Amino acid sequence: MRLRRTDPHTLAGAYALDALGDVDREKFERHLGVCEACHAEAASLRDAAGRLAEPTAAVPPPRLRGQVLAEAARTRQQPPPVRVAERVRRSWHGVGWPAAPRMAVAIAGVGILVALALGTLLINDQHQLHMDAAQRGQIAAVLNAPDADIMTVHARPHGKATVVMSHADRALVLTTARLPLLPSTECYQVWVMGAHRMRSAGRLPSPKQGMTAPMIVAGIAPGDRMGVTVEPAGGSRHPTSPPVLMLALPSA
Amino acid sequence: MTVELPGERPSAAPASELAGLLAKVARGDEAAFAGVYDRFGTVVYGLVRRIVRDPAQSEEVTQEVLLDVWRTASRFDPGEGSARSWLMTIAHRRAVDRVRSAQASAQRETRAAVTETDYDVVVEEVETRLDAQRVRRCLDSLTELQRESVTLAYYGGYTYREVAALLGVAVGTVKTRMRDGLIRLRDCLGAES
Repeated sequence: MRLRRTDPHTLAGAYALDALGDVDREKFERHLGVCEACHAEAASLRDAAGRLAEPTAAVPPPRLRGQVLAEAARTRQQPPPVRVAERVRRSWHGVGWPAAPRMAVAIAGVGILVALALGTLLINDQHQLHMDAAQRGQIAAVLNAPDADIMTVHARPHGKATVVMSHADRALVLTTARLPLLPSTECYQVWVMGAHRMRSAGRLPSPKQGMTAPMIVAGIAPGDRMGVTVEPAGGSRHPTSPPVLMLALPSA
Repeated sequence: MTVELPGERPSAAPASELAGLLAKVARGDEAAFAGVYDRFGTVVYGLVRRIVRDPAQSEEVTQEVLLDVWRTASRFDPGEGSARSWLMTIAHRRAVDRVRSAQASAQRETRAAVTETDYDVVVEEVETRLDAQRVRRCLDSLTELQRESVTLAYYGGYTYREVAALLGVAVGTVKTRMRDGLIRLRDCLGAES
């Protein structure tokens, strides 16, 4: 039996100092999505950490100013996020968004198809390295579940997601391929929307060769929707932009 | 949020000023963007320089940070923290990204070292000194292990595992020292400012 992992709470300091590796950061941000108190603490610690920059102030070379201003003048700015949560929420219910295309296949002998869909990702060394044994175990359990459903959904403007879901495990495994690359100031965040509330399932791992490592999303209920939005790096408490992909999960 | 005492911080740009500038920048106001550069360029460049060290790369990263500000100003959300914290987060992440990816591709060393020492002047303006003194005083109030953990991570760009290796202490210890240290720093700065 494994020892219980340390409370993710304790990572708040290292997170605020950008001292987490990719794996730890993703894990902690997933935790932030479900822990309001941690979110507030991380923000206050980040604020304190930012003050550490004050003693280091130094005058940049004068030419930099002109370069930066000229570069800005020819750089397109991003539109503001959709701030009204209700609008996003409504769009998630299908208003203004076409019914999420879905291809669901109920499979008796799941192994082969799942292996086709996910095999390349699972045997990828880099992905393996970045995943701990507990996660691998959960993923394997869903992929091997006798009731596993496999679905693919197309993303906007391009790319796709593959989802393997087990009702018995109340969990799904999500991988994506060829989603648009994001600057380091943004991330893809995964959301699960039930009848009454929407919650964050954490950030998508960073892609390797265009594909993201399998990510486990637990606590799924029949009829939930799963969506992915672009959020500022570090994630948001609520989605602030329309989903780039959305999937209505099968209800039985 | 810190409370600004106008008497004590005469011209150090208060947080609300940056938030105001960002709102204008989000609407494409280039003069406001120049204002952000003029007010905060030294803090951004100084931090980047401290972490990245190489002057030419520091310039590149500073430019990336400010262009991020230009591009994503509309995404600054006052509900998520102060404008200053938002800006310094972008700067720190960009700088840390640069040193970690440089680490990953070690041949980066061959890069031409353009030295611009002429301009590498530490800012000596009065208000900056006051702020800096306050931060140093608060840093001094941490235990040695807290202070080393926090500063190696923040100024050195090291991960907590690397910090643990550098200090020869357990990873779990470094994690908690970082958190305790920042809590103490936060409380000290809040009480002093």
